[in-house]
Parts: sequence; structure tokens; C-alpha cells
Amino acid sequence: MKPFFFISAVISACVSVCIVLFMIILGLPLFREGLFFSMLTSPWNPSNGVFGLYPMIIGTLGISSLALVFGFPLSLGTAALISGLAPKPLAAVLRKTVQAMTGIPTVVYGFIGVFLLVPLIRNLAGEGSGMCILSSALLLSVLISPTMILTFSDTFDQVPVKTRMAATALGATPVQTFLWVVLPASKKGLVTGLILGMGRAMGDTLIALMISGNAIAVPDSLFSPARTLTAHIALVIASDFDSPEFKTLFACGLVLYGFTALSTLAVRAIDTVFRSES
Amino acid sequence: MKTTTLKNMALAFILILLIPTGLMAGSLDSFKGEKGSLKISGGTAHIPVMKDAAKRIMAVNPDIQISIAGGGSGVGITQVGEGLVDIGNSGRKPKDEEIAKYGLSMVEWAIDGVGVAVNPANPVGSLTKAQITDIFSGKITHWNQVGGVDKAINVYTRDEASGTREVFGEKALNKGPITTKAVVVASNGAMKSSVATDPYAIGYVSVGHMDKSVKAVSMDGVAPTVDTVKSRKYPIARGLYSNTKGTPKGLAKKFLDYLMSAEGQSLAESHGFIPVK
Amino acid sequence: MSRRWIERGFTVFAFAAAGILMAVTMVLTGYLVMKGWNSLGLELVFGTTRPMDALCLRRPVLDGLFPAVAGTFALVALSVSIALPLGIGTGIFMSEFASGALKRMFSLFYDILAGSPSIVVGLFGFSISIFLHRYVSGQLYPCLLISALSLAFLVLPYLIRSTQTALENLPPEVRLTALALGASPVQNLFYVLIPRSLPGILSGVVLSIGRCAEDTAVIMLTGVAASAGLPRSVFGNYEALPFHIYTVSSQYMDSAELATGYGASILLFGVTSSLFLFSFIIKNIATARTAVSGPGL
Repeated sequence: MKPFFFISAVISACVSVCIVLFMIILGLPLFREGLFFSMLTSPWNPSNGVFGLYPMIIGTLGISSLALVFGFPLSLGTAALISGLAPKPLAAVLRKTVQAMTGIPTVVYGFIGVFLLVPLIRNLAGEGSGMCILSSALLLSVLISPTMILTFSDTFDQVPVKTRMAATALGATPVQTFLWVVLPASKKGLVTGLILGMGRAMGDTLIALMISGNAIAVPDSLFSPARTLTAHIALVIASDFDSPEFKTLFACGLVLYGFTALSTLAVRAIDTVFRSES
Repeated sequence: MKTTTLKNMALAFILILLIPTGLMAGSLDSFKGEKGSLKISGGTAHIPVMKDAAKRIMAVNPDIQISIAGGGSGVGITQVGEGLVDIGNSGRKPKDEEIAKYGLSMVEWAIDGVGVAVNPANPVGSLTKAQITDIFSGKITHWNQVGGVDKAINVYTRDEASGTREVFGEKALNKGPITTKAVVVASNGAMKSSVATDPYAIGYVSVGHMDKSVKAVSMDGVAPTVDTVKSRKYPIARGLYSNTKGTPKGLAKKFLDYLMSAEGQSLAESHGFIPVK
Repeated sequence: MSRRWIERGFTVFAFAAAGILMAVTMVLTGYLVMKGWNSLGLELVFGTTRPMDALCLRRPVLDGLFPAVAGTFALVALSVSIALPLGIGTGIFMSEFASGALKRMFSLFYDILAGSPSIVVGLFGFSISIFLHRYVSGQLYPCLLISALSLAFLVLPYLIRSTQTALENLPPEVRLTALALGASPVQNLFYVLIPRSLPGILSGVVLSIGRCAEDTAVIMLTGVAASAGLPRSVFGNYEALPFHIYTVSSQYMDSAELATGYGASILLFGVTSSLFLFSFIIKNIATARTAVSGPGL
């Protein structure tokens, strides 16, 4: 039986390797011509033969970091309530709701965003179409919050019960226990949750595609439309297989893959660092 | 004199009643006994007609599966050329090098216009060609510069695979640039619904897709309507093409024949396109 | 003094954060339900066709969600059945047989796969199908099978992880009892370890089903079509609920079509949220069980 399990493990590992290999091979012409790195800093203007990804990289980073700015405080607060601050029944209800939220499909978020959030932001801003960085970052922050909340609250719960009890025995209120005992012991989980949230935000396609406006200019305000790398892949997929546009898709894929692989490595590195510390 | 006209009219009336029903049965009849699948992709202006035609065919013969995807004209041409679909639609004539590269054979089954559209709430209903060029290039940025309200103009455009964009860029903007700040949408349908919901929007859309949810803007005094496109008074017109790799065969041929039949042509007309027959 | 203020402030902040998040979720789902409630019903799925006729494939459904629902169903069934043996097999290998550098390397690969954005996996599936089309057979193109395969890759890490964790969390007593009584390691695995970790494995399976049902980015690159009728073969195009929602959102023709978008959203939302919640519940049962049985035995 062991060979069967071993073969499955090898196949699963191959899938992961194949994805990056395929992208490198198909994007190889770009590397060979030395275009890859200049692409990272030039604009997208196919009619003049310029196929840069700079606006999309900025779009991706801008939208996902803004989503974190909104999502992190929401998640931290909610996770604190779930793991200690709130009375038990409330915490249970919150946890169930957050778990159910992880199941909201991103396309449904996008759908509601198109008809509810976009007009709202348009009226609020008084300029622009409402399809902008702010709209998609707001929606993304709701999308990534459950991931962060569950990671945070798992870490909070892992702080040894004895330590908590000791604090409580010394007369600490739940807030005091949380702020001065649990939180300082959970740095690792906080960073891990943040990176996971960032990865989820950068990897999401549908919300950006549906409500960020997909303009190819580098965004210069919260209300500018922008295009992310993911949305770019979805929009351009369609062109000629031999065309440079098509090859840039794999460059896009590589950059995205790079971002996510980096965050995975970062999470693991944090894990080892904190483990050796304690 | 009078009786002959009446007679003629009666005859014409009977003919009108007879021909379509006869042909209708005839054209859909050709799908009887057929089996298999037909894959269509590309031009998004075509989609409503394609969907209707597919529905009628599949209702008569459930053994046929017709799948319809969008993507834009560029996609239609390359996908049919690469053999990924059976019929690739385009809202522009395939370029000579595309025809040569892939050995395409084309069927032009309707004429369509491309018109500028704004939100129905927008007071601006007429623009000059120069104004349109300047708005899309980003030189004119506010509606009050062209007689509207004091609000920034939200320009909407299509992605590079779009035939509608290519035709509009060539015939309306004289190949001038489109501002990079324009919001990019992926189909004619999406362009229409975006303009319909954004009070300060401007975009360009297939005349067949125009309805009362958007306001068609006259260019140099000529409104983009079926009539003006037909009479060639409105200059931004294009054919709607369905392309196959090599001469069409099997289901693809029957489907294209159906589009060119009287029923297919009246289907195109009912969707706001100008039939070619 | 200042600490007291920080503490008070934090309490207010935490309640405000949770309040905002819950309120936003309520508004989003409430809006969806309010707008879409009236479109719910058999007609949403079957249109003007009689449901029995549609289900028995006697008549095609031309104006309902039935083809999209059937497409999503076929997609989920196919991709989960591809991913299931592979994922569980890998999970068992990782927990029972792998060790040292090999285990670390494999788990790094699976972690990276887990982090890969779905559009990248979709791009991978798309390039595979182009590759097959060019070099293997002109009859192959993006299709149901390619989508299912790509989705299987996407959910593989969930299955691996849940299986591995479930097995690794079994208390040592459970592992050793059967062996001590003379069972072979394989017997031990199949008659003791796997049955005991079933809830944990199952939670991963349910989660994968949810992911397959909701994913849009993968399928939009690998063969879903705006209109395709019922899926007939794994080599053909198909419709799917999430893609239907995406197309309707941008290019609805009239309010009736828009209503099907709301209806489809509620349908998909209901299905995936309950699947995810269900998966968490199974997982809780699983952890509770191991926690109790640990010291008890």
C-alpha cells in the first residue's frame, strides 16, 4: 500500500512544481529577450508594442494593502471578542457567523458590490464611476476578514490556559488578560494571519475584475479605477496564442506566483523563528 | 388600377404570411437528425442573436449542443483559427493576415453600427466628432465643456480584443488614443449596463444593443440608429461576421445557413441589426 | 491610569470592529436576499419546462438555471473524485510514512500550491489544454474535464492537510492498541486509523466541495461558456452557477435576467455557506472526540 501513498504524494508535489515550470517555459521567450524585468516597470500599451505590467503590479499591491488596512483592525477586534472578551454565547454566535462567512463565494461579493457598493461610492466620492480601488479594497477586506479572524483566534486560544488562569487569579479582567498576556504571546499568529490575508487579497480575481474598473493607468487616488494582475489575466486570456500579449500572461502568472510563494515562505520562516525563540 | 394594387397587396400579404412559415420550418428542419456539438465564441455584439438561434435549434433538436462564449472579436478569430471553436465571431472584418494565417472563411450576416452612448439622465445628446475624439483621449474632462453639468466625465472603453473598439477607434477617433484612465469592460452588454447605471458615463456600444436604458448620442448631428446606419448617413458601421477555419462543414454550415435564412435574418433584425438579405 | 484607558478603549474598539463586520455582512446578505427573494422558486431553475421533464432529460431547459446547476454539479463531482484519492493518499503518506527532509520538502510544495491564486491554477489548466490541443489531439480544448482537473489541483492542498492533521492528531493509544494485538500496519491503517480520523478527513472533503462550487476564476479560463445547455460530455463546454452570476452582473439584458443573477447568487451563497459551516462543525466534532478519547483510554 505504501507505494500508492508515495505515488500520490509525488503527483501532488509535481502539480505544484508543474504550475511554476509551465509558466516559466511559456514565459521563457520574455526572459530570453531580456524583456521580463523591463516589463515590471513599463506601462501596458499594446498598440505601441509596449506590454508592461507596472500598472497591474501597483494595482494589485495598492488594492490588497488597502484591504489589509481596513481588514486588520476589524479582524483583530472580532477575534479578541471571540477568544475571551465576549461572553461565551456571544463568542459562539460570532465564531459560527465568521465560519459561515468564509463560505460566501467571491463572485457573490462581486455581484452585490456591483449593484450596492459601486453606486454608493460613486455618490459619496462625487467623482468617478465608483469602480475604483476603494470599492474593491472595502469589499476585499470583508472577504479576507474571516481568514484573519480564524487564524488570530486560533492563536489566541493557543496561549496556555494556565497562563490565563494565573492572570485571572491575580485579579485581571478579561480585557487585561487579553491585552497584557494573550496579545504579546501571539505576535507570530498575528503576522501569519496578516500574510494569509494579504495572500488571499492578492490572489482574488473576481472582486477586482468586477468592481475595480480595470483601467490600465497607474492609479493615483482612492477613487481611480485600477487593474490587478489577476483581472489582467482574466481580461487578456483571450488574445492570439503567438502574440506578445499572450506571453505576458505568463509573466503575470509568475509575478503572482512569486508573491504568493514568498508569503508562504515568510509564514514558514516566522514559524521557525518563533519556535526557536520559545 | 386600384384593384390591381389591392390584389398585389393581398398577394404580398399572403406571401409574407407564407414565406416565413415555410422557410422557418425548412431552415430548422435541416437540423433534424443531427447530433453533436457546436462551439461558438468571440464577438459580444453577436451574442443575443447566437443565443436565440441556439435556443430555437436546441428546442427542435435536443441532441445538438451549442455552446456560446464571448471574449471579443480578437478571441473569436484566434480561437477559430487555432481550432478551439467551430465558429469564431467578429464585429470587424478579419484582417488579411488573419485570413491568410488561419485560412478563414467568413459569413457576413448583418450590418451593425457603433454609437456613442451616455446615461439617459445626461442632458448632452449631441457631440461633434472632434468633441468625441477629445473626450475619449482625455482632453475634454468635464461635461460642462460640452454643454452638460459640472461633473467629471467617466470614460468607458473595451479591452484590446474588442472589434467594437477597433471599429470605433478607426472610424470615430481616427485611430486617436483612448485615455488610460478609462474603465475597461469586457462586452457590449457590459458597456450598456455600465453606461445605464453611471450618470456621468460615456461609452460606445453596438447599435443593436442600444435601448432605452442608455441615450444614443448624435455625432455631427446624426443619431446612431438602425435607419441612419442603413442609409449610410451614420458613418460608423461594420459587418457582423461569423468565421470558420476553411469552408464551413457539418453543423457549422447548417448554423450559418440558418443565420442567412429568412428566419435567421429576421432574428438579426429583431435584435436591432440590419439584415444583409 | 493610561492602561485603564487603553483597556477601555480596546473593549470599545473590539465591539465596534465586530459590530461593523457583522453589520456589513448583514447588509450585504440582506440586500441580496431582499432583491432576490421573489425570483426564488422552481421557475428560477426550470423556467417554463416541467421539473420532471427536465430532470429526466426529456426536454431541454432553455430559460432557467438548470443547465448551470447541472454544470456546477458535474464539475464538483468530477473534480472531487479526481482530487479525493490523490489528496487522501498524499495525506496518509505525509502523516504515516514521510519524515525528515522529504516531508519538509513535500509540505513546502503543498503549502505553495495552497497559496497559489486560483487564476494562476486556471492559467495552468488553460495552457495544458492548449498544449494538448496542439501536440496531442486537435479534438482537445478547454472543456469540463480540464476545468475539473484544474479545480482538483486547487483543492488538493485542503484534502492533504485535513487528512494529515486528522491522522497526526490521533492519540498514541489509538495507534498502538491494534498493533499490540497483532494487526499489521496496513490493517491498523484501514481498520483503526482512517475510521477514527474520518470526521477530520470529511471536513476537508466538504470544504473542497464548497471551493469547487464557488470558484469562478479557474473555470472562466478553462471551458465554461455563457450558454451551453446541459453538459453532455467531459470534453465539451458547460455552464456553471458562479460564471452565470459573473456574466449577468455585467451584461444583463433585462430585469428578468438580472433577477436570475440574484437568484443564482442566493442559491450559490446558501449552498457554499452551509457546506463551509458544516465542514467546521464536523471538524469540531472530530477535535472534541480526540480530545475526550485521549486521556480516557
